[in-house]
Amino acid sequence: MRLNKPAVALATATLMTLAACGGGTSTGKDPGNPATGKIEGGAAGSGKDPEAAAPAAIPDGAQEGGTLTVTTVNVPSTLDPTQAYYTDSTAILSDLVTRSLTQYTYRDGEMVLIPDMATDLGRPNEDNTEWTFTLRDGLKYEDGADVKAEDVAYAIKRSFAIEELPDGPTYQTTFFLDGDKYKGPFQDKGEYAGVVVDGNDITIKMRRPFTDMDYYASFPAFTAIPEAKDDPATYGKHPLATGPYKFADYKPGSSLTLVKNENWDPDTDPGRIQMVDGWQFKFGQDSAKLENVIINDTGSAQTSLTYDNISASGYRAISDDADRLVTGTSPCTYMWYLDMTKITDLKVRQAIGYAYPYRAAWKAGGEIEGVTRVPGTSILPPGTAGRKDYDPLGIGGVDTDAAKAKELLAEAGEENYEIKFFFASDDALSVAAKDQIVKGLEAGGFKATPIASTLETIRTDRTDYDADINVRSSGWCSDWPSGGSWFPAQWAAELVGLEGMPNPANFKEADMTAEQDRILDELTPEEATVAWGEFDETMQTKYYPAVVTGYSGSALIHGSKVGGMENDNVRGMPTFAQMFITG
Amino acid sequence: MGIRPTELVDSTPDEPDEPDEPKVTSQDVAGRSPTKIALDRLRSDRIAMACLGIVVLFVLIAIFAPLLTRLFGVELDAGDPVTDTKFDSFPAIGPPDSGFTWAAPFGLEPGTGNDLLAEWFYGARTSLGVATFSTVVATMLGIVIGLVAGFSRGWMDKAISFVIDVFLSLPFILVALSMAPIIVSRFGNQPDRLQFVQLGALLFVLSVFGWMTLARLIRGEVLSLREREFVDAARVIGVPTRSILFKELLPNLIAPIVVSISLGLPAFVTAEAGLAYLGIGAVGIPSWGQTVNAAVGYFNTYPLFLYAPVVGICLLVIALNLLGDAVRDAFDPKTRR
Repeated sequence: MRLNKPAVALATATLMTLAACGGGTSTGKDPGNPATGKIEGGAAGSGKDPEAAAPAAIPDGAQEGGTLTVTTVNVPSTLDPTQAYYTDSTAILSDLVTRSLTQYTYRDGEMVLIPDMATDLGRPNEDNTEWTFTLRDGLKYEDGADVKAEDVAYAIKRSFAIEELPDGPTYQTTFFLDGDKYKGPFQDKGEYAGVVVDGNDITIKMRRPFTDMDYYASFPAFTAIPEAKDDPATYGKHPLATGPYKFADYKPGSSLTLVKNENWDPDTDPGRIQMVDGWQFKFGQDSAKLENVIINDTGSAQTSLTYDNISASGYRAISDDADRLVTGTSPCTYMWYLDMTKITDLKVRQAIGYAYPYRAAWKAGGEIEGVTRVPGTSILPPGTAGRKDYDPLGIGGVDTDAAKAKELLAEAGEENYEIKFFFASDDALSVAAKDQIVKGLEAGGFKATPIASTLETIRTDRTDYDADINVRSSGWCSDWPSGGSWFPAQWAAELVGLEGMPNPANFKEADMTAEQDRILDELTPEEATVAWGEFDETMQTKYYPAVVTGYSGSALIHGSKVGGMENDNVRGMPTFAQMFITG
Repeated sequence: MGIRPTELVDSTPDEPDEPDEPKVTSQDVAGRSPTKIALDRLRSDRIAMACLGIVVLFVLIAIFAPLLTRLFGVELDAGDPVTDTKFDSFPAIGPPDSGFTWAAPFGLEPGTGNDLLAEWFYGARTSLGVATFSTVVATMLGIVIGLVAGFSRGWMDKAISFVIDVFLSLPFILVALSMAPIIVSRFGNQPDRLQFVQLGALLFVLSVFGWMTLARLIRGEVLSLREREFVDAARVIGVPTRSILFKELLPNLIAPIVVSISLGLPAFVTAEAGLAYLGIGAVGIPSWGQTVNAAVGYFNTYPLFLYAPVVGICLLVIALNLLGDAVRDAFDPKTRR
């Protein structure tokens, strides 16, 4: 899944100010030192409970009424369920507005996959090439109309319309039947053979085994959309609600007001509650201001929260009041993607890994080690099933070793190798982190050439194949807790050359491609899980196409009357579905 | 935040130098030029002198910034985040967690661990340097354009007045804000040049938007001066126009120019800080405005970080403003004390 805003100058600098990638276990205690501040990796939603019963239990201390206010510096680009792929837009839609076939719910520090509109988590056939979901009875849209299985089938077909509705998740094109040919209901008027509806049953057919369909069915793209009411250009302004809240007023770019959806029946929903009267989202706010308002906790700030990570200054200010701080790990990895077409020598790539000033760049970029940034070396973040903890450089992802970098460069005969990367010259933290990275690289025998960009343009600049840079700083978040949502999504050879640069390292090695195909097509789910962990290690050891610059942690704050706020460690967002106002 | 350096009272020009009338009294009267009178008045103004002292102090700080940093044993941009800051990015020594230390009298910057005293010294240098340069350029432009506009009649005057109006109507902040991304995209891939181009652009914007008021003022003065007898006389005996402008007219305009400069300086200091706060200006060069920008988030937890540059800007601007007011009073012949 994409980070809230992929506008990443230097992973260190901008990512965390813009993106909230949260985590699992809520410790939120003793931010006194890095040792205790460090959090165990959450399981990132690896648990499943197909038996979860509706209605969801009302938490203790929950009161009815009131409005929760969510302020954030981020601006979701779209709230169309098919297009929602950023962590914030999926959380807002899935938790509050549009129900999907499956959903996650928070239980004791973990996110558990439970049924939503479907009665269970889907029934695959023997080789995972057919998945059948059965829709519950009594589901209604906000206008009182019944939700039909055909509407879900239509929503699935709609997700193939990538041209009309870009930027959404695209696993359906890889796994679903005819996914490479079918172009969605707007271009292909005929039937789509991949989805079959029979009464309340929806059967999805695959072209290659897809073991993670139950996870994938939790995306907002697997909601119900009535074909008659769909206009792809405007549906995102008011998606029909099936969940506990509906759109009352949406001003793209600035605010979203949600009010109770009277047609939502708690007896059909095992995961959501409807305690507050409404939600008020304010987008594009000033980050320092919103942070101070929530920290000061007076008046309406008591029922406010944010999903932006707290700044170093705010972290200290809130540490006296630690129960208003929610921390945890999250399934996002920050990386320096090394352009394989430009930096062709493995030794040079490894030298970059040795020279990168991990701690210095994090601190200068406003990160708090162990809280908002957790050191690590595997591409798969903690909590991913089958993850293998390995250390290709032997420096633990923190201990910069300039001497070793120089040695490798000398061996490769590439002294003074030039590293070019973007930074946002209008962001003080980005500039400060850039200064540290330049210092670190130069100490390691490189020539560092930071190229100025701006916060507004850095995202498009970075995904430009012709940009005169050889390193790209960005990151990736799990869509579900298995390597299957990592490597085919960012490290597949077929992605090289595609619009938006989905494979930021231009990684294209024949043996790794063959291995990916083998894992996807030949292995059972259990074998595949382990194989992805091995794949991670093999790729990083043999090719080292990316410097892992740590995993995101989250540190989110809320007002004193906000209840039920935990970390949704699948998205790194607050658990909106189960939040309420306390007395 | 416009740069309107002058808000002069409508001062009539001083009488041009004319031969002294023969004195009837036998009393000794020292011949004193208007400038000398003004300076004497200024000298007796205690507030003005105190402000002058502060300004001189800042000028010395700006000039000797490298020496001062060495004297205090601090260094610019020498922070190492790993050793100089704690795990949550707050400084490892000095405020806010520990008391005052001579190792870092103004504390360290959170995150980077850079010394704030060094930043402050060099910030003064940037502030005064930018303000002085812009004032000089803007004043030159204003004088020349004002003189030419006032002295030439007909189409030339109209054309120049039109240009002045155009520049006055351009939204200063908008131009400055839109220039920053253009420069970044144009020179972003040349990091060595970018810094100079950004500084140059800042100076350019400040200068180009700072001359109009003075030009208008001077044009007005010249309009009335050029009808005087001494100008006619000069013209009759064939003095070239350039000499009339710079030898005959300019000396009579010293008062408004001095006042304009003295009020323009603080305006430019404020403008530089304001633009730096908005992210326009030379990235990578220490600047009070940029420090303020970085420190706003630390208002609660590390106030010294914010106070040092704010106090610097306030002191300098207040001193310059009061000094400017005193200069205006001193040069204004209508002021009687």
